[in-house]
Amino acid sequence: MNNLFPFNRLITGFNIIKANGGFLNSFKKLFRQDELKIGTLVGTDEMGNRYYENNLYFYGRNRWVEYNDQVFLNYDASQITAEWYGWLHYKTDLLPYNDPNRPKYKWIAKHTENETGTERQYVPYSTMPPKIQAWVPPKKN
Amino acid sequence: MIGRPSQIILASKNITSLLKNPAITQICLRNGSSNAQPVSQESTKVEERPYRPYSPFQNTNSKAEYAVARLDDILNWGRKHSLWPLTFGLACCAVEMMHIAAPRYDMDRYGVVFRASPRQADLIIVAGTLTNKMAPALRRVYDQMPDPKWVISMGSCANGGGYYHYSYSVVRGCDRIIPVDIYVPGCPPTAEALMYGILQLQKKIKRMTLTQSWYRK
Repeated sequence: MNNLFPFNRLITGFNIIKANGGFLNSFKKLFRQDELKIGTLVGTDEMGNRYYENNLYFYGRNRWVEYNDQVFLNYDASQITAEWYGWLHYKTDLLPYNDPNRPKYKWIAKHTENETGTERQYVPYSTMPPKIQAWVPPKKN
Repeated sequence: MIGRPSQIILASKNITSLLKNPAITQICLRNGSSNAQPVSQESTKVEERPYRPYSPFQNTNSKAEYAVARLDDILNWGRKHSLWPLTFGLACCAVEMMHIAAPRYDMDRYGVVFRASPRQADLIIVAGTLTNKMAPALRRVYDQMPDPKWVISMGSCANGGGYYHYSYSVVRGCDRIIPVDIYVPGCPPTAEALMYGILQLQKKIKRMTLTQSWYRK
């Protein structure tokens, strides 16, 4: 009977849509993340990303991140802060705020995302005199 | 205490029926609204980040410039979501390159499909040690690819010789033969790292200004 009329799946689907804030918001989320999930919000980081967990999903898919809405489609894995990295990658099961062994020093730098391709990107430079003589193309008249 | 197989099967059946139960998702729904984060957490100061629009071309001065900027957006969107790489697996890095094609990292999600012919590819992933013997072949294959074409150099051997840097028979980096867009470090890089490299290349493609350069000229 359940195979003919999959009520359970329909109800689960409606619950997921409800949890994500209605049809329009679900559509937006689906567009941005290609996935619609239901889970418990376990925390946020200083970049504004939200971390979710739902152990009903299979291991490997049960922890996920929803990036800050402000970055829209320009989300990147390097936007996940160092505190949450370990939890999200199953290095530890302890949430960052429950872990007593996290060092908290003043000198720890703030997390920055990968800035390749922006104005703040790292450009290597040489301090040695050049070993080669560059070819200067002849000017067109 | 270890149960008999029949009991285990029964238990697994119970679990699957439990997972199918919509009441469970109802519980999740209830938990989702409640913030599980304790109040004592200090680093909850979320910094305000400026909104990042999809297009990197936001400063347009005239209507024509706006039009070509949007044209570029469409073009780059099409290009970055249909990267067809040519497999140039030379060593153990090729195994990791196979992994991103496999279901776990599934590069097909990003429209990245391996092609066997350079004439159908617009990306070449140089995976592994480039030897002197292979170098002319790499150059020839690269020249056969249609424009626009991109190169990902994968692994330390392709980046700069790596372990074989002082060998008599190895090219010290494939950028001595072809121009490289993305260098993926590692020996070998994980499939995850290569996937990230592909995503970085997509970002780079997004910044391409084909029609805008044409308009400026």
